[in-house]
Amino acid sequence: MLEAQALYSYYGKSPILQDVDFSVEEGGFLGIVGRNGVGKTTLLRTIMGLTDRAAGSLLFQGENLLGMRTPQRAGAGIAYIPQGREVIPRFTVRENLLMGTFPRKDGARTIPEHIFELFPILADFIDRRGGDLSGGQQQQLAIGRALAMDPKVLLLDEPTEGIQPNIVQQLEDVMRRLNKEMGLTIVLVEQNTRFVRQTADHFVLLDKGRVAMRGRGEELTNEVVDRYLAL
Amino acid sequence: MEAWVNEIFIGISLASILLMVAIGLAIIYGTMGVINLAHGQFVMLGAYGAWLLQTQYGVSIVVSLPVVFLVVGLVGFVVERTIIQRLYHRPLDTILATWGIGIVLEQLVRNVFGSSSRYVARPEFLEGGYIILGAHASSYRLFIIFFSLGMLAATWYLLFRTEFGTKLRSVIQNTEISECYGISAKRVYALTFAYGAGLAGIAGALITPLVSVTPTMGTSLVVDAFLVVIVGGVGSLVGTAASALMIGEATAWLSYVLNDTTGRILILLGVIVLIRFRPQGLFPDTVRR
Ligand SMILES: Nc1ncnc2c1ncn2[C@@H]1O[C@H](COP(=O)(O)OP(=O)(O)O)[C@@H](O)[C@H]1O
Ligand SMILES: [Mg+2]
Repeated sequence: MLEAQALYSYYGKSPILQDVDFSVEEGGFLGIVGRNGVGKTTLLRTIMGLTDRAAGSLLFQGENLLGMRTPQRAGAGIAYIPQGREVIPRFTVRENLLMGTFPRKDGARTIPEHIFELFPILADFIDRRGGDLSGGQQQQLAIGRALAMDPKVLLLDEPTEGIQPNIVQQLEDVMRRLNKEMGLTIVLVEQNTRFVRQTADHFVLLDKGRVAMRGRGEELTNEVVDRYLAL
Repeated sequence: MEAWVNEIFIGISLASILLMVAIGLAIIYGTMGVINLAHGQFVMLGAYGAWLLQTQYGVSIVVSLPVVFLVVGLVGFVVERTIIQRLYHRPLDTILATWGIGIVLEQLVRNVFGSSSRYVARPEFLEGGYIILGAHASSYRLFIIFFSLGMLAATWYLLFRTEFGTKLRSVIQNTEISECYGISAKRVYALTFAYGAGLAGIAGALITPLVSVTPTMGTSLVVDAFLVVIVGGVGSLVGTAASALMIGEATAWLSYVLNDTTGRILILLGVIVLIRFRPQGLFPDTVRR
């Protein structure tokens, strides 16, 4: 459903991504791994159209994403949960979730109930401001905001980075449920290779802006991790 | 006593006009970071709009307000779409460009209508006035005060109770993420610029019965409005309103007690001292990020 071929992406004149190929099936779970600074975030930003320029082929459900502006890509059903969460600090939890409904094609402005089942804390804190939540709560809000658009694919960038272990567990459960039970397609950038190995159907390992290795989730063995990801 | 009340009253009505000009400036600066030096000319266009509607079609100023809002708003929209939108990554160039646009608008008006002063009559039902605490309060000035309070409330409603306002506030805080959630920042920018221009136009139309209409009339008003924005900060509508009241009253009083020029110089000095100690203005935007 999401497919890149010979994808290049630039900030200014520097090509950050070079000749990247990957694809995700409908209902699939793709993990993106790699050391810091290899271009994982840039890959997700390229899918959203947030880099300065991109070339090559990038298709979503057969449509050329590279010809679309960012809001249109959201409208096509791609939900992006950026690194560092980026909830709107002065918006309440309710406004942040409401914002998630803006790309909806059906024009609905109701926040889907299942978001509060996944993250009960959001219902409790519905009138608090996003900027006043803890990191873990903000991450739940960021995922809730993404789900509010009723997306076809979720792009998550290191959602468990800097978050206390009990919430990490909850976030992992949610990602698994969304993918396995609700059939939502997921592209996950993650440093935690254990979770990717257990949960992803496939992984892509980036190095210096190129694909260094790819395989099925369970092929992301300790050997691979030691070779490509150890510091 | 009467003179006192009279100056307070004149100060408030001046503040009301300033408020509408300043809200436009502040909202444009707060959203796009554009210092709009053409704002005074938007005020002037509004004034000429009211004059034209009255002399050509006999339309009362009260009726012309919505027309002026829409027309000057449209001018703002076109200016944003054709010129400003290309310059968002170059703040210095936007200052130059808006300055140039102001000059062009002013000269256009001079070519079409000449540079002689024009006068607009207040509506008949707003002739006369009331005696408040022994002083005469003209109905028209009262109308200005209530109308601008109405516009303040309308702006608050637009920002905090409509979907457009939510999108605008979202774009202000995080443009990229807003776009990732379906909000077209371009559209928001153009409409915000149009709204600010429309408010300036209304201020220009409202003031016509009190001053003469000339191609350069917007300049001094917009200088005061800039002072309002600097003193109030761009964070809150209440801050802008309070600051407009302060500048309006100070202007009325100082030009009454001393004279116009000395008054202006003192206000300018006061503002300079203030920003030396409170660079964010009196009502800064404080939020945890
Ligand atoms: N906005 C930007 N402008 C210029 N270069 C950038 C920008 N963002 C990232 N880069 C560069 O792109 C490379 C990849 O960064 P990034 O995609 O953030 O890596 P990762 O997410 O894998 O840690 C880095 O060398 C970084 O310096
Ligand atoms: Mg990153």
